[in-house]
Amino acid sequence: MFEIELRDAGTVVVEGRLDAAQAVKAQTFLDQVAGQCVLDLEKLEYISSAGLGVLLKTHKRLMGSGSGIKLINVNHHIHDIFRYSGFDKLFEIVPMRG
Amino acid sequence: MKQKFKRNFEELQNIVTMTEVLFREEGLPPGLRNVVDLATEELFVNMVTYNTETDADILIQMTPHTHGVEVSLTDYDVERFDPTGAGPIDVDAPLDERTPGGLGLYLVLKMVDSIHYEYRNRQSTITFIVDRK
Repeated sequence: MFEIELRDAGTVVVEGRLDAAQAVKAQTFLDQVAGQCVLDLEKLEYISSAGLGVLLKTHKRLMGSGSGIKLINVNHHIHDIFRYSGFDKLFEIVPMRG
Repeated sequence: MKQKFKRNFEELQNIVTMTEVLFREEGLPPGLRNVVDLATEELFVNMVTYNTETDADILIQMTPHTHGVEVSLTDYDVERFDPTGAGPIDVDAPLDERTPGGLGLYLVLKMVDSIHYEYRNRQSTITFIVDRK
C-alpha cells in the first residue's frame, strides 16, 4: 500500500511503502509540486533506492529554482537509510519525536 | 520457504507477503524486517532490470538462520554479474553530482551481515544473511 497526497499548508503526506512498484506514482505526483515542499514521512513504513531516486530527482529540480524538499517526521529506520545514502547531507531532515 | 516470482515489479508485494509469513511463523525478530525487505527488493529489481533475455521466474528462498534469516535469489539464463563487486558510491558528493544509480546495491552491501554470489551453468544465485546484532 502506498499513498501520497497534498494536505494542509502545502505539506505532502506520504504513507505506506515506497518501493520500485510505487516509484512512478510518487514521481508523477511530485513532478506537479512547485516551490518549497515539506514531505511528512510519519506514516512512511519503508523506502528503497527507487524511492530515494524519486526524492533526489525532485529535490534537484526544486533546488534549481531556489527551493527544495524538507523531510519531517522521519522514523529511525528510514533515517538510517538516509544516513547510509548521504541524504542527511543533501536534505533538511527533521526526525520523528519520541 | 521458497517461491517463484514473475519478472515484474508488481511481484514486490507478494515478496513482502512471503517475508511476513516467514517472520510470523518462525518468530523472527521484527527489527530485521526492513533490512530483509530492502535487500530482497534491491536484488530482485536488479535481476528484473538487467536480465531481459529470459521470461524465467526468479526463485526466492528464505530460511531462519541462527539469530536471523538467510535469503537466496536465483536467476536463470543470465550473464555473470556479481553484485558483491559493485563499485563504491560517493555518498559525500554534492547534490548536483548525485544520481540514484548504484545506490540499491550499495545499501545492500552496507546493511546485510554477509553476502555470497555463485554463478554456474548460466544460473546466478545471490545469498545474504541478516542477523540480530
